Amino acid sequence: MLLLLGVVPAFAQLTAEQKQLNLASFEAVWSAVHEKHWEEKPAGLDWQVIHQEYRPQVEAAASTEAARAVMRDMLGRLKQTHFAIFPAAVYQVLDPSGAGDGWPGFEAHVLNGRVIVTDAPSQTGVKLGWEVLHTNAADLPQLVAKLQADPAIHELQLERAVAARLSGPIDAVRSTVFADATNTRVTRDVKLIPPRGNFAGFGNLPPQPVWFESKMIGNAGYIRFNMFLDLVHVMTEFGDAVQKCAHCDGIVIDLRGNPGGIGGMAMGMAGWLVSQPGLRLGTMYMRGATLNFAINPRAEAYGGPLAVLVDGGSASTSEIFAGGLKDLGRARIFGTRTAAAALPSVITRLPNGDGFQYAVANYISEGGQALEGNGVIPDVEVKLTREALLAGHDSVLDAALDWIRKQKESK
Amino acid sequence: MTSLHRITLLASFAGALASAQDLPKAETIFERYLEVTGGKAAYQKHTHEKMTGTLLVPDVGMTGKLTRYAAAPDKEYSVLQLGPLGQAESGFNDGVAWEKNLITGPRVKRGDEKALAEREARFNAQVDWRKIFPKVETTGLETVNGEDCYKILATPASGKPETQFYSKKSGLLVKTIATAVSPMGEIPVEVEVSDYKNFDGVLYATRSKSKMGPQHLEITITDISFDQPIATEVFDLPAEVKALIDKAAAK
Repeated sequence: MLLLLGVVPAFAQLTAEQKQLNLASFEAVWSAVHEKHWEEKPAGLDWQVIHQEYRPQVEAAASTEAARAVMRDMLGRLKQTHFAIFPAAVYQVLDPSGAGDGWPGFEAHVLNGRVIVTDAPSQTGVKLGWEVLHTNAADLPQLVAKLQADPAIHELQLERAVAARLSGPIDAVRSTVFADATNTRVTRDVKLIPPRGNFAGFGNLPPQPVWFESKMIGNAGYIRFNMFLDLVHVMTEFGDAVQKCAHCDGIVIDLRGNPGGIGGMAMGMAGWLVSQPGLRLGTMYMRGATLNFAINPRAEAYGGPLAVLVDGGSASTSEIFAGGLKDLGRARIFGTRTAAAALPSVITRLPNGDGFQYAVANYISEGGQALEGNGVIPDVEVKLTREALLAGHDSVLDAALDWIRKQKESK
Repeated sequence: MTSLHRITLLASFAGALASAQDLPKAETIFERYLEVTGGKAAYQKHTHEKMTGTLLVPDVGMTGKLTRYAAAPDKEYSVLQLGPLGQAESGFNDGVAWEKNLITGPRVKRGDEKALAEREARFNAQVDWRKIFPKVETTGLETVNGEDCYKILATPASGKPETQFYSKKSGLLVKTIATAVSPMGEIPVEVEVSDYKNFDGVLYATRSKSKMGPQHLEITITDISFDQPIATEVFDLPAEVKALIDKAAAK
């Protein structure tokens, strides 16, 4: 799941009560892993020994930030995704009424080490394929180079870091420097606008903007949504979009940049695309329970060609969905390898107010492979390129549409 | 078995850990439960029931509302509003067990899952426990939350057996270990019930805490009313469920 991290509260001396809350938080974090990690020895570690090592460090922590850093370090020993602590302040910052939700109105992603505009409505004055060089005092080529030099930073984190630099308070105007099609420097005053879609939370997950779009491209349906959240709206719109496409030549589901969300939504969406009963996307292994990600076929399930687009920003539920449909032979996957971050997790609040995300299960896709650490490898590897974007093309989408067209021709 | 259990629980497994010698027969414990919760006559006074309550999934901070309608002999309809998950419905009528929610869409339950739904739909199941559990056996004495309890292995006519724990002192059911069955697999479920309250002559547990795998669920019953008019359409199969049945029959 996507967690937007940031905002470091001021360093302050701890009161006895705050110290106690941090200790209670440490115990909650340690116990959650001890009791709920799917392995009795989490990641092969003696978790009792871990307790003895880290508890004194939390006791000695001079600030909540320091205590949080100790807990993060402890979780880092697992070397697994979906174990995270985020500051209490993040809940306020991500609230719809808070500052920092504004976005520039165009999308940009890291392609070949450069931040490239991949989607830009005409009113933004920014064009597809332009490179973003500088905004809000951030030198983006430098940032990307620095992060890419760190082997511990994966693509998902890189994309989040870039997105964070491009966002800010709604209505803020950012002087942003681009390189246009001829690599000439162009400056635009970019006004940050309210985020797309509706803010939706899920339990203790802070509210996040969720949007859904569907359209026809020729006689193929195209569906895209930014997260598997806002279940009531997204599931309804997904079902409507598939039903409207009953006679389409094919359907493209674009999960590029989609970090996941509610795991069950992958099963539900697959039910609109699979008509054979008794199938599943994969299996989730928890402590004391094993769950099939079973697909319940809808009466109106679509049976035509299905293409799913993915990239390194496709994580978690996106990987469960794409990987399962690939393993079942139901979808052809286009793009680049996914984030390999697919552990089912829950988010809870700690006694000190921080948020705590922890994985409770391992997930094995129907083909027998763990998605964590492996990701989904596309059937057709296609990279989005700046050159194609400058020419007005999305090379990954083009490849999927070309395949759909060939499927029709081969009939 | 309380109505609360019929909502949250299902079947189960267990091993006999203690000698059955010197322990009361399971039949005696079941009859005592029937008696201490109101007696056969009190139960049989009613033919319709409406129950309302709240749900909490503490691990993820999610809350919801629950309404359940039931009618003799075996009609049931439940609707759950669980915050961001939207509305989830389930029911049993005319021998069909079904569910419908925004994730899976409409679905007809089969096999052990259907057997469980049928058992849960049985009105005044406490009175008819012999029909529901043809085989019951006291397997030991165990402590549940500091309370000495008789442990009973109850095997239904169809579906998976469950283990029930009845207070030695009060005769009330305090815990059940069962197995939730669905296409997602079989999940061990432990349900502890408490806070029995009198509703028109019958004692019902009004709080339950369930553990399903690593997840927890808490239910609080806020009201139970009997024999108020319930429109028969409440129990009708949804059109989408009927369509599934018709489609299967056409094949």
